[in-house]
This record gives sequence, C-alpha cells and structure tokens, in this order.
Amino acid sequence: MSVAEPGLKKNYLTGLKEAIFEEFESDPNVIAIGEDIGFLGGAFGVTEGLKEKFGPDRVIDAPISEAAIVGVACGMCLNGKKAMVEMQFIDFISTGFDQIVNMTATYHYRTAGEVAINMVIRGPAGGYGGGALYHSQMNEAWFANSPGLKIVCPSTPADAKGLLKAAFRDPNPVMVYEMKELYRQNKISEVLKANDEALVPLGKGVVRREGEDVTIVTYGNNVYHCLQAADNLMSEGFSAEVIDIRSLVPLDEDIILESLKKTNRLVVVNEAPMTCGFAGEIVARMSDRAFDLLDAPPVRVTRLDTPVPWVKPLESFVLPSVNKITEAALRVCRY
Amino acid sequence: MATTEADQRKTKQESFELGAFSSKLSKSDFQELLLQLYLARYFDVRLIKEKKRGRLTGTLYSSHNQEAIIVGSLFGLKPTDWISPIHRDMPAFFMKDFRAGWRNPDRMGMSVGTVCAQVWGRVDSPGRARDNWSHIGSSAKRIIHSTSMLAGTIPAAAGVVYADRLDGGDAVVLTYNGEGSTAQGVFHEAVNFAAVHKLPVVTIIENNQWAYGTPTYLEFSMDDFARRADGYGIPGLVADGQNVLDVYDKVMEAVAWARSGKGPSIVECKTFRAYGHGDHDDDRAAKYRPKEEVDEGRARDPIAVMKRIMVAEGHMTQKEAANWVAEGKGASEVSNDDFPPEVVQYLSEGIEFAVNSPLPEAEEGGMWVYREDN
Repeated sequence: MSVAEPGLKKNYLTGLKEAIFEEFESDPNVIAIGEDIGFLGGAFGVTEGLKEKFGPDRVIDAPISEAAIVGVACGMCLNGKKAMVEMQFIDFISTGFDQIVNMTATYHYRTAGEVAINMVIRGPAGGYGGGALYHSQMNEAWFANSPGLKIVCPSTPADAKGLLKAAFRDPNPVMVYEMKELYRQNKISEVLKANDEALVPLGKGVVRREGEDVTIVTYGNNVYHCLQAADNLMSEGFSAEVIDIRSLVPLDEDIILESLKKTNRLVVVNEAPMTCGFAGEIVARMSDRAFDLLDAPPVRVTRLDTPVPWVKPLESFVLPSVNKITEAALRVCRY
Repeated sequence: MATTEADQRKTKQESFELGAFSSKLSKSDFQELLLQLYLARYFDVRLIKEKKRGRLTGTLYSSHNQEAIIVGSLFGLKPTDWISPIHRDMPAFFMKDFRAGWRNPDRMGMSVGTVCAQVWGRVDSPGRARDNWSHIGSSAKRIIHSTSMLAGTIPAAAGVVYADRLDGGDAVVLTYNGEGSTAQGVFHEAVNFAAVHKLPVVTIIENNQWAYGTPTYLEFSMDDFARRADGYGIPGLVADGQNVLDVYDKVMEAVAWARSGKGPSIVECKTFRAYGHGDHDDDRAAKYRPKEEVDEGRARDPIAVMKRIMVAEGHMTQKEAANWVAEGKGASEVSNDDFPPEVVQYLSEGIEFAVNSPLPEAEEGGMWVYREDN
C-alpha cells in the first residue's frame, strides 16, 4: 500500500491513502489522531492498515472529542511533531472549532513567528450523497474567515494525493476538504505518481477545460457538474472555461484573472450556502482586480441559504446542479 | 496584623505538619520559598502602583493571596517539565526553573524583563506585544502560550507530553486553571484524554471561590472539586492553597505519580481571590462579594502562613518574622520597605528593561499570519 504501483489507475480514496502512508514512511514525526482511525481504519477506510503498520503510538484512536483531538494534536505540533487530524465527517468539526480557530490558527501570529503548527486537518465533506444535515456540509467559509489556516479541496485522485502530501509538508495548519462522494468513483480513477513527484503545490489552480466565452470557477464535487454544464453550453454555442481552484487559502487569483482577460464573463460555483460563502469572496476579489474586464455581472451558483436536507428531491433542490449552472452561465453569456 | 475571629479559626485549622516532600526541605529552601512568595506579591502590588501612577495601561489580573499556588507548584519541577499558566499566574512565567538562578539566562523560564515587557506591551515581550497580559509562552522554555479560552490549553498540554513521551522524555506538565474553567466541555475532554493515555498531566485547580462575578456554588455542585477526578479514574488531591508547603507536597505527589507513568491527576488548591477579577473589576467586586467573606478569605495570607511555619520549625525567629511585613496589606497600604531589598531590586530591573523597550513597528501587525519557509 505504501508504494504507488505504476500503470494502475487509482481512485480518490487510494490517493489519500497513499499520501498518508508515504508521509508516515518518510517522516517518523508524523502522527495521526482521530475517531476510529486505528482498529477500524476510519469510517471510510482512509487509514486502513495504518495502525498495524506504524503502531498505536503514532495512530491514535481518540475518544469522541473533536476539541481534545485538535488540541492534543496542536500540543504535539508545539513539541516537534506533525499531526494529522481526521474528522470523521467535516460536519463534526464544529465541536473542535475553538481549538482550530483560536488555538491552532493563531499560534504563529501570537508568538510572532516562534511557533508554527504543522497540522493537517482532513475529513470527508460535501453533499450529493443523501447524508442529510450533519453528513453533507461544506463549512470551509468558517475557516477561510479565520486567518492562519490554509484550505484545500481536491477533486481528482492525483490532487487528493498531491495536495494532502503538500499539506503535510507545509509548516502551517492546513485543512483538507475531501469529497466523500468522489472517494470511490472509479470513473475518475487515474495513474498516481509516487513520493515527491506526486506533490501538488498549495495555492495553484488548474484549468480543467479551456474555453473562450465564460469562465466558470469552482472546486470539489462541483468541478464535474461544471464540466457537464460546459458540454451543455457548447450545444448552445458558447465555450466555457472551467477552472478548479483546488486551493481556497491561498487562492490562485491570477489563473482566474488570466481567464477573464479572454472570456470577460464570470460564474462561480460552490456547494456552500451563498451568504458569506467562498463564491462571494471570489466574485469580490475579481471585482477588485478585474472590474473593467467584465462584460456582464458575475453570478454565483451555490447551495441555497439552507441546511442540506436528506431525501433526494429536497437535496437536489438546494444544491447546485448541472442545470442551474448551465442556466446561470447562459444568462451571463447572453447579457 | 489584627486577629479576627475568622483568623483564629483558620489558624487553628492550619496544619503545620510537614508532608513527605516538604519535610525533606532545608532551611535555605524554606527561605527561598518565602522570598519567592514576597516576589510574587511584590510583582502584583508594584504593577498596581505603576498603573495608578499612569505608567502602565492594560488590565491586571491579580494573584494576590494566591501566590503559594504558583510558588509551591513550581518549586519541585525539573527544568525539562512544561507548564501552562493562565491569567492569574503571571509570575509563573519568570519563576519557572528559578532553582537554576533568578538571573540565569539559560534557565528554563522567561527573564523577568521579557515578562515585564509583555505587561508594558513592548517589542521585547516574547510575543512582541501581539496579544496582551498572560498570553505569552515559549516552546524553548517549555511554557505553553496561554489564551483567553479557559481550559483551552489543557489539550495542548496533553499533546506536548504525549510527544515528549514518544521521544523518550520524562517531562510532566502542570496546567493551571481557575475553578470556573472546569465547567467548560474542553476541560473534561482533555482530562479524559490524558486519563485514557495515562499522560503526565497535573491539572491544578486554583479554587479561589469566584469565577469573575459568579460564586463557586453556581459553578459546580460539590464541595471538593478534586472529587471530580473519580469520574476520570485518576487521583484527586486537595491542597491548602494558602500554605506553600502543602501545595508543594500535593503537587510533588502528583508529579511523582505522573513521572512514574501512572498518569494524570487533579490538585485542587483552595484559596480566595483577594480583589476583583481584573483591576477594572475591583470596585464592583467590593459590592458583589460580602465584606465578611472577603475578610475571611484573606485572613490567611500565604506569606504570614509561611512565616508561622518557619517559626514553628525553627527556621526563623519571631524577630526575623517581623522584618518585612507585606502580609495582610493591600497595594495601597504596602511600600517597598515592606519587602526584602533583593525582591524589589529584581523586579525593578525587569521594569527598567520593559520601559526602555520600544513599541513594535506598526507593520508588524500584518506579519506572521503564516510561516513562509518550508
């Protein structure tokens, strides 16, 4: 498991797993802590085999306490370790909130650079799986609003592996929003690189599809919805450029700006609620930097300002969909 | 010092019997402990005077009447041990590892100058004055950086000793907490984690009877908070927080337990907050707390208690005990002449360093959000 097998296509979950095993292998200071990550191997199996291989001192089955998990990890990092925290679901992070935003995120700042907390906080996130209110959230905006944290959200197996590895290597606390609906989607499986070659730098977006008429900026699950919407737009005679930012903090503003120079039209898509969400942040930054470039008002396609409901018709009603994205992009193209 | 009824009652209760650890202390140890009590008290009253003279801004959180907890708990630590003080333990930052010499720059505690620079909000503070009062620390000196989130650093305390144990160390961590902070969920979550992993975490509860404006009976429904330890399957000890030797004995018992691999414990130190929550609260505290309760709570000044024990043990004459009478006096009633000169000198040097330290450059406000190097 620890060595990437050449030529074989791997899914998203395997990408995460390989990242963790490789980092554990290469650095004895790496420790993992979370609920059910040892004996069980994690609720989704991301850490399966980790405790057997690296022992109970380095792979800790913690009591059900996100506050203790994050706080203990913070203390370990204060004393020279690299700690990986698994949130069983990213929704549960709220009970560890204070330890993240007041304790961990501020550490470097309040010590004037003396301490950096080399922590990775990762966990399954996002909707589209019928997980209901407490197993579907995208709460990245809470943390994007807390200076000191970096935030990434990979959408492919290679990015899952590469960004997670980069998160381990970054000296700051990095949050990894994993798309649990993509964990075992074999249709996006791909060949993964090994060790340093697998690294994907934080703060670099990627163009998933080139186009001329409108720029659709997104991340996570919604990358695939946007690519389908781009197909729909093509049949309407418009070519859409789809940008996967991958990293929210820091944000690759330049890749969006370069695209707008070509398309002059902006649609931003994410599955968090609209109010004070990260989609609004992207629109605001482009208004600051590219107002004169825009030929149409930028549009956001987000979750409604609601929780995520359970059953399919309700969930579909509130989350962004291919149709909603297509319609919004057409409005922008025809403005 | 006038003898009140409460004073007599408390003095009667006072145990002069030495414990397993304090009975091994020498006369010079006793003298050093008393001197440290004077220093902690002097730090408190001097800062109040500095503020009244207009030389100092910012809120002060007095440790007046609670100094025995700071001094007694630190006295037996090894240099490699960690501490996690909070707002009412300000002297702990510079008194850690005092055994290595008060002015020794290599000891595992902060210099008094840098702590004063923090109080004054100057650039030579350990955190370059980015956060106020007790919100400093040092990973090099093994002092966990305090925050305003009560009980919020106990998980980190558990984490540092977990890491230390993995590296083959034998460090113990002392965490300091007001009794008010014990109602926080994170208090329970962290102590439970430490208990499960048998981590060397000694949780000191400074039970000073008041959480800001709320009395203990509205915080938890038990007389001895230490009994809460039963629920975690760990020992809970009660110490007389006015008696530096009893604090020393109980904390050393907990430290020995922890260092031998048996795990965490709770040491509840019974004491009383002499003034308001902070100096901004002194006037209101005089109203929300009955005068009789305050008089009784302050009747056993830790300096006076230590002197009585030293006289009883033959380490001090009655005449010597009358030499420096800082005990039983408030900041406005006390002067430099009530303190041993080495105490006044030591802190004055620290203050001198602080007032000569500049403010940080404004641009620093935007720095150090992230570490840039990999």
